[in-house]
Formats: sequence, structure tokens, C-alpha cells
Amino acid sequence: MDEVEEREKVEPKIFDKIGYDDIPGVVMTDTSAVSDFLKKTKVQNVLNWGRKNSLWFMVNAMGCCGVELLATGMAHYDTDRFGIIPRNSPRHADVLIISGYVTKKYLPALKRIWDQMPAPKWVICFGDCAISGGPFYESYSTHQNIDEVFPVDVFVPGCPPRCEALIQAFVELQKKIEAKKDKGTDY
Amino acid sequence: MEEKIPPSEMIVHLGPQHPMMPGPFRLNARLKGESIVDSEIDMGWIHKGIEKILENKTYLQGITIVDRICYLAAITNEEAYVGCVEKLAGIEVPERAQYIRVITEELSRIQSHLLGMGEYASFLGFVSMFMFTIRDREDVMTLIDSITGARVTHNFLRFGGVKDDLPEGFAQDAKYVFENLRKDIDSYEELYSTDDIYRGRTVGIGVLTPEIAKDLGVSGPPLRATGVDFDIRKDEPYLVYEDIDFNVCTQKEGDVYARIQVRLDEMRESMYIIEQCLDQIPSGPLFPEGTPYGKRSPVMRVPAGEVFHRVEDPRGEMGFYMVSDGSERPYRVKIRGPVYPTLQALPPLLKGVSVADIVSIAGSMDTCTSEVDR
Amino acid sequence: MDARSIIASLTDRFPEDIYDADVESDIRTVAKVKPENVVDVCRYLKDELSFGHLCCEFGIDYPDRNEIEVVYTIGSYEHPVVLNMKAVLPRDDPQIRSVVPVYWNANWYERETYELFGVEYIDHPNLKQLVLPEDMLGEWPLRKDYKGYPNKTAKNLV
Repeated sequence: MDEVEEREKVEPKIFDKIGYDDIPGVVMTDTSAVSDFLKKTKVQNVLNWGRKNSLWFMVNAMGCCGVELLATGMAHYDTDRFGIIPRNSPRHADVLIISGYVTKKYLPALKRIWDQMPAPKWVICFGDCAISGGPFYESYSTHQNIDEVFPVDVFVPGCPPRCEALIQAFVELQKKIEAKKDKGTDY
Repeated sequence: MEEKIPPSEMIVHLGPQHPMMPGPFRLNARLKGESIVDSEIDMGWIHKGIEKILENKTYLQGITIVDRICYLAAITNEEAYVGCVEKLAGIEVPERAQYIRVITEELSRIQSHLLGMGEYASFLGFVSMFMFTIRDREDVMTLIDSITGARVTHNFLRFGGVKDDLPEGFAQDAKYVFENLRKDIDSYEELYSTDDIYRGRTVGIGVLTPEIAKDLGVSGPPLRATGVDFDIRKDEPYLVYEDIDFNVCTQKEGDVYARIQVRLDEMRESMYIIEQCLDQIPSGPLFPEGTPYGKRSPVMRVPAGEVFHRVEDPRGEMGFYMVSDGSERPYRVKIRGPVYPTLQALPPLLKGVSVADIVSIAGSMDTCTSEVDR
Repeated sequence: MDARSIIASLTDRFPEDIYDADVESDIRTVAKVKPENVVDVCRYLKDELSFGHLCCEFGIDYPDRNEIEVVYTIGSYEHPVVLNMKAVLPRDDPQIRSVVPVYWNANWYERETYELFGVEYIDHPNLKQLVLPEDMLGEWPLRKDYKGYPNKTAKNLV
């Protein structure tokens, strides 16, 4: 114990003596400053390359489009080959797919799911209902214009869109991430 | 469940986002140790107010909306709705159109059971089975797609007929798909019946007796698994089901394993029905001759009256109660979905079972939340 | 057991409570029931006439007549006859006894009718909203005079 305490006393002295500011090319910093700095460099391109190739989406079937969502993640369409893997927990997921009608009762729960997802995270609006209300545009219970609530990156129209359209949506999202135009990360 | 609970008990919420079901739903279970003392279901997360919307649509527009009640059985929903209007207006459906309807409905039953069965296996951690069944389901979906032009919401039936004829070469395609599907269903049955883990989690779990099932108002495969041969196709035949030979599949045990077995058998029967239809289908028009009804039928006024029409959904008894006041829009439409009573019957079934069996029992009901909420 | 004998038996047993009974076809019958005795009629239907399967229960709003009809569609596992039984309630204060003691699965149907139409069920074990969020209770959205529909509810009308 005594040795440790002694070292703690000693070490600051050494650092004071050398001083970070004195080392040429070394900048004293904290983590957010590092990430801010990295966003301006080529390192961010590498990070984005990694992110865009492992877009894990959350299986949150909410309506008719949810069936196509299930089918897309499974054997026939096999999105695994693009690194797009269905996950059941929001804490594993990067992409929230709003696949149906968001009702007034469900919106708070969906917001909570969104809050549970770790950043960086993206939203895809899958189907007409999520975009503008779709066939239920006049319903007393649904919430239209979901893009007022979530930062939506890709809209997929259709009622319901086919599985290929969802894969296309992921490809578009990958393009956006690569071009640093996505809303999930702040550049 | 707002009352105070004793310190030895706790409440666990499953949902609203839970992988157990295609659709949000919440189950509040009160636990004592590992076993469930009481549970309550909270519904309405995707309530869309379809009944109100239908009152403000013309009859033809309504077909598009009823597709979206239950997305796994869109054609049977349409059949119930269109059947109501046909009964009210006294429209006769030509025989060829009736056969095409039966073919699409049975195809829809096969794909629904394939998805429900595979998804159920994945709840128990048997994800490979989901991969297998989805692979087969895509073949069936391609068949449906070739007839109706859509995968999920078809918008295919019309008053007095169907939108399109069968495509060329459909019989050969169906024969090819069914040949593979029969083999695969046999292999699923073998997998299910020989897998010790699967059997351990399903045999003797969630047992319903016929009396309790009737009392709870359950219909469809969960009821037939208890030995009651209640099937609208036999008891109240619609379309051409009277001319077709098929069995009502039943099991005696009433447990989770029996429910899945009923679904497996029903898929075989459905294929048998479709093959008979393809043999027997006569040539002829798709719409009654000498009437204004057609693919794009005009805005129609239906005579005033009330009618209740029910059909056999993949999940049980699907009924529509329609009130018409003689205008071009229905006055009131009530949708009686099969899953509504089935889901309601979960809390009594879950009483006393352990937490691990919640998913096993609830998943075996093959529920469709969208249809419960409407 | 055919439709005619069912209706005859029902009207014989409850001459005061059942009126406007009619046979529409071999498998469809209609009748109206006085709201006070709906539970007794349902119990008789279930025990004696083997109507053991409540298909559904729902409301219909008639603002012109100032009435709300509650319809019980009751089927059976033994015979194919379906009975549509109606109870007529005043629109200002719709109250009816709950049939949950007879048909267990009426529970959710009655909760839904309560929140969408405002029909109050007496002696219901758990009468609260089922599908609507709590703050929408009291709007009775399925009534015909639901305010502002659809212009209030639709954002994207063009």
C-alpha cells in the first residue's frame, strides 16, 4: 500500500516535469474532442465503412409490412450477406424500422425503444402507413407524419413494399452513411 | 393490476415490443417465484379504427381496407366482407370464380400456417425451423403472387367474382410446389416428433379440454386440437366447399404439440383441396353475365338489411356483421376476428405455469395482433 | 334442432321479454330482447338450446331514433343456427347488464363496446378501456356524431 501511495505522489511530479503540452505533436484532450477531431479526418471514413456493413435492424413487426420484414431477414432473401441481421432487442440494434401504423397509444413505447438503442442509430420508414398514414390516413387513432418525431433517413413507399424494396432501402442507407449525409451521426 | 402486491411476488411486463408476436402486445404477469399467479393482457397498441373507416368508404373501397385487418389471411378477410355484400345484394358468383376463390384461400391458409409454425419454433430457440418454413413459404407466396399480383395484401376479390383468371401454367407450378412441400412437411413432422427438447417444451403444456375451450370461445386449430370438429367450411358451407372432399383435422390431447400437429395436417388437406379444385374447375366467365358487376364495378347501392356471414380463417372463425341502410356506404360493419377470443383465453391458460412456458403457450395460439386491435 | 323450433321455444319461455322474433333462413334467426332480462335469456339459450358459442357482441348507433342497439350474435357447436339478438337502449344513458357470467368471452367485447360507444355494463368484472389510450375515453369514437371526423383526425387531407 505504501508503495502505491508513494508512486501516486511521485508520478504527478514526473508528469509536471515533462508536461503534455511540451511534447511536440501531442494534444491534451477528452473523448468528445477526439471524436470531433476524427470526424474531420480519414479515420471517420474507416469507421463509416465498418458501420455501413453491419446494419443490424430490430425486428419490430407492427403491421402488414412487418410480415415482409420477417421474410426479409430469413432464408430466402438472406440479408445476412450484406451484414444486415435481424435482432430482437433494441440494445443490439442499429436500425429501427417503423413497419406500420403508429398509434397514439404506441408512440410513447416506440420512443422508449428508440431511446434504448445505442448510437449511432438510423430509422427507416417502411410502408405508406409510417410515411403519411397510408390507407388509415383518416383514422382517429393513428399518428400520421412520423417523420416529425423520428429522424428518418430512408422512406420506402408501398402498401406493403416488397422484400426487395427493403433491401434497396438498406443499400440507400449505406450510400448515405458512406457519403456522411445520414442523420444518425452528427458531423 | 394496480393493487399492492406482497413482497414475495413481482410483476413482469412482456412487451409491447416483444419478439413473441408479429405485432405489439403486452402481457403483465404477476409471478411468485417461477410460476404465474395472475396475468393480464393489454391490447390496442395498433388499433386503427377500421370499423369507423369502413363506414366512410364505398363498398368497393372497403375491400382494400379489409385486406389489412389480418395481413396473414387477407383473402379470407375479403371473402367474409365480399360474402356479406353478395348476400345483401343477392349476387350469384359464377362457378369458376368460386373455385379460384377457394384456391387462393387455401394457398393463403398454407402460407399462414407455414409462417406461424416456423415462427413458433423460433420462439423455442429452434431458429433453423423458421429458416426451413420461410423457404417453403416463399414458393407458396410466389404461387399467390402469380394469381393475385401481390404478396401480402391482395385486393383480389370483387362483388360477384374475382379480379383475374388463373395464370397460364398454374396447375403445373402448383403441382411442382406441392410435391416439394409434401416432402418438407413430412420432414418437419419428423423433426418435431423426434426432437426431445421440442417435445419436452410442448407435450402436455398448456392443455385445453374441450369443455373449457368451448367456454372460452376459442375457435380454429386451438379448438380442433382438443377434439371438437368445429369448422365453418363443414358446418356452414360457403363457396364450393360442399362439392369438395376433405377432412376436418382434429387431435385429442389439446396441448401445444397437438395444435402444431393440427396445422401440419391442415396444410396437407389444403393441398388436397387445391388439387381437387384444379381438376374440377370448369371454364366460364369470372363475373355473372348481364349484371354491371365487373373488375371495376360502379358505385353500387346495396339494399337495406343486416347480415352475418362467417368463413373459416387460418386461425378460426372469421365473421362480418354488416348493416346497410340502402346507400353506397355500409352503415355499420362489425369484424369478428378469430384471434380475439383466443388471445382473451390466455390469462386463464397461463395460470400456474412457469415463466418459460409463457412463450410456448402464447406462441402456439398463432395470434395476429393486428386483427385483435383492428 | 332447426331455426323455427328454436324461435318457438324462445318465445314460449319468455313471452314478455322476446319480441320481433323472426326466422330469416334455415341458419339465421333474429330476435329483440328487453334489456332488463338479457342475462336470463342468455342463460336459457346456453343451457337449454345449446347456443354455447358467443360469436360477438357489439353496438350500433342510431342517432335518428335516439337509440343504441347492442347485438349479441350467438352460434352453437352442435347446430348451424345463428341467433342475432338485439337489445335496444336509450342513447342518452345506455345501460345493460353484463352477460359475462354466462358467456365468459363477452368480457373484451363489452369493454370494447363501452369505450367505443359508451354503453355501460352493470356488474362487469373489469370495465375499463381496452384498445384506446386512456385520455381518449369519453369521446366514443364509433358513434355517428363523433366530432370532426375525418377532418380533425386526418393531417394529410388534400
